[in-house]
Amino acid sequence: MNTRRQFLIDGLRVSAALPFLAGTGPRLFPREAREERVLVVVQLTGGNDGLNMVVPHRQDAYFRLRPTLSQDPRKLHPLDGDHGLHPSMGGLAELYGEGLVAVVHGVGYPGADRSHFRSMEVWHTGDPDHPAGDVGWLGRLADQVAAEDATGLPALQIGGGSLPLALWARSTFTPSVRDASGFRLEGSARFAKARGRVLGIERRGTEAFLAEAARVSYDAAERMARSADRPSKVEYPGSGFARGLRLIARLVESRFGTRIFHIELGGFDTHSRQAPAHADLLRTLSSALTAFLRDLEASGVAGDVATLVFSEFGRRVQENGSRGTDHGQGAPVFVLGGGVRGGMYGTPPDLTHLVEGDVPTTTDFRSVYAALEKDWLGLTPSSSLRALPLVT
Amino acid sequence: MKLHVLRPWRPGRGEWNRAAVYHLARRAGFGAGRAELDRLLAGGVSDAVDRFLSDDAPDARLLAGAAALLPQGEIDALAAWWMSLILSGKAPLRERIALLWHDHFATSFAKVKDVRMMHRQNTLFRERGLGDFRELLHAVATDPAMLIWLDGDANRAGTPNENFAREVMELFALGIGNYTERDIQESARALTGWGTEGRSFRYRAPDHDGGTKTIFGERGTFGGEEAIDLILAQPACPRHIARRLLEEFVAPNPRKEWVEETAELLVSEDWSIGRTVEVILRSELFFSPQARRSRIAGPIELVATTIRTLGARVPARLALEAAMRMGQIPFQPPSVKGWDGMKTWINAGAWVARHNALWRLARAHVEDTDEVHLDLRDSLGSPKSNEDATRFALELLTPDLVDGAFAEAVRESVRSAPSLDEALTGATALVLTAPEYHLI
Repeated sequence: MNTRRQFLIDGLRVSAALPFLAGTGPRLFPREAREERVLVVVQLTGGNDGLNMVVPHRQDAYFRLRPTLSQDPRKLHPLDGDHGLHPSMGGLAELYGEGLVAVVHGVGYPGADRSHFRSMEVWHTGDPDHPAGDVGWLGRLADQVAAEDATGLPALQIGGGSLPLALWARSTFTPSVRDASGFRLEGSARFAKARGRVLGIERRGTEAFLAEAARVSYDAAERMARSADRPSKVEYPGSGFARGLRLIARLVESRFGTRIFHIELGGFDTHSRQAPAHADLLRTLSSALTAFLRDLEASGVAGDVATLVFSEFGRRVQENGSRGTDHGQGAPVFVLGGGVRGGMYGTPPDLTHLVEGDVPTTTDFRSVYAALEKDWLGLTPSSSLRALPLVT
Repeated sequence: MKLHVLRPWRPGRGEWNRAAVYHLARRAGFGAGRAELDRLLAGGVSDAVDRFLSDDAPDARLLAGAAALLPQGEIDALAAWWMSLILSGKAPLRERIALLWHDHFATSFAKVKDVRMMHRQNTLFRERGLGDFRELLHAVATDPAMLIWLDGDANRAGTPNENFAREVMELFALGIGNYTERDIQESARALTGWGTEGRSFRYRAPDHDGGTKTIFGERGTFGGEEAIDLILAQPACPRHIARRLLEEFVAPNPRKEWVEETAELLVSEDWSIGRTVEVILRSELFFSPQARRSRIAGPIELVATTIRTLGARVPARLALEAAMRMGQIPFQPPSVKGWDGMKTWINAGAWVARHNALWRLARAHVEDTDEVHLDLRDSLGSPKSNEDATRFALELLTPDLVDGAFAEAVRESVRSAPSLDEALTGATALVLTAPEYHLI
């Protein structure tokens, strides 16, 4: 396994030195399977209460610190003897049973900060020491993909909002799309030709960025219209989040060429009256992810897609005075897909040993990133941390 | 105070030109049509700046129009009302500042859920946005929409809620790195008891924590007002506000020495935003090449300046819808951080929205609808030939780029247009949808 990976990375260097290997004739070696692999990142915005998602129901402290918010152990979906998934996450529990889900406990970063923005910056840049940078971890991956295949669209943000820092890149422009319908371009063919000429002149700085953005947008608009309307083989729930995942499945199925997708589910900042809102959010998450995986299976591409689910931080173990929870530190993340080694990773939280009232970080988020960057996509990771063995 | 970076601009021969007056009109306000730009140009730079400062009264009839729409409770109607004030061209700097403070003290209807409170906050920004920043910050801290937005009602003795205390330091007044977690916790305690009743501010004495707090090293039984005064007394505060003004009026990523001088100026002008902005608008820095077309135009300013520069007649609601599709929904900023601006304005969906709206606007010249009216012969100044069409469109919309590769590419495309009207719409649409035009 490791040898093959090493070969791939070294191989790129070798081929640069010996151009005949990458010559213009037919490929000497079959296309490396990794080049088809796709990473989907699901961001749970606001700080998801990981403790009520992956519930440590054997620990008395859980019930003591959460008199109104603790989950009834009998209603949980069991994962192992000590942990169960929230009652509204039946679909995800089923996927876990099939070995499609890796659960990593206590993920976070050193020197936790309880600011949403700072914490998000750390996750997005992958750099706890210099989080205020302007290149994101997915942007760095997009740049690497683009360096090998300049014609594709390496990354896409699904949701239509402004582009998250994670996708900011040095040289790659990543579009953000809400759905395929926002992509219908107006203007005559004659005008399209004229604007092509105007876009073609040489530019520098921000003008060059805008010209590249325009080119990528026009191209994406034309190609997206072709692949997005394909029917799906699986019924999806009605949420906007599910529609976004459905669009990703269609684009993967039609070999749109995008390797990195980013999508958000918001509303996790549950400071007050958490229980009903959080249950709804987890249901939305679980049902949409389940449909997504079943859809990928039906389309024969489940083995090509790995999905990371993370949030900027977990929440305080002790519930607050308004039946909610405040900002905390470590929290579980999920990695799911046909090429994922399902099971539990990291150190499960021990609620008798908290740090400032929080579940401490026991797994550095960069070791999850490394598994996806290096082992999954075959690209250069953003840190030197050892990758968790999450994927095949 | 002695000015260096912000010393007044004395234009050399030919420097006070179409490009300079266009820059002023789009930054100090939301643009101006050809005839008005010509008038401002003829009067000289000092009078032109005066015009943006002295035309200070919003259109009274439009302003009063809010009363009729508030009972409907529709936030988009309020946003369209604001757009109509922006498009009116009256009190241009006041509307610019109101938009800036809305972005800075970003409060969303998504949580406030009350149109009257959003209107009240908007009025605060319009009426006091050019005044003393210290008074503005105090007023924002007791603004009902803000209290709901950042959980003032939940901030009580014994169970403090840090939401407002954190954001006032991180985003509104100081910037990250200029306070400790302790300062936040203690300020939150000082602010306990501040909440709302109905649509008004209400202080509840029993909810206030009267104990001793330590904020920025000072000990005392501080209340909310005192906590805000302690924040305002931090040297980071005038710098934070100076940086914000420079990002808006000069260029993103302002240099350290610009920030230092502007912060000093702000304090020496008794924290008057209006007088500080006036000095910026008259400065060499404001008219320098590094300030010109240095920002990616946000959707509201892009839509409004385009409509006003072309002298198009567009219902405020349609203008608002265009801005919303491009990713800026007034009264619903994405987070308390506001709109991140610059590159984050641009994504494929947003670019397609910009393209479609601007292309459609230019087409209104030949496909006049009941709602949108545009006469490009009038807007551009009676062109006689396809060649004129290109030149006049460039002179009006990108006056610093009438020569060179960009102008040549437009000219080449328009040369063979089948009629003068097609040449006019073609040249205008090409310039409007070109990257160059989206820098303001």
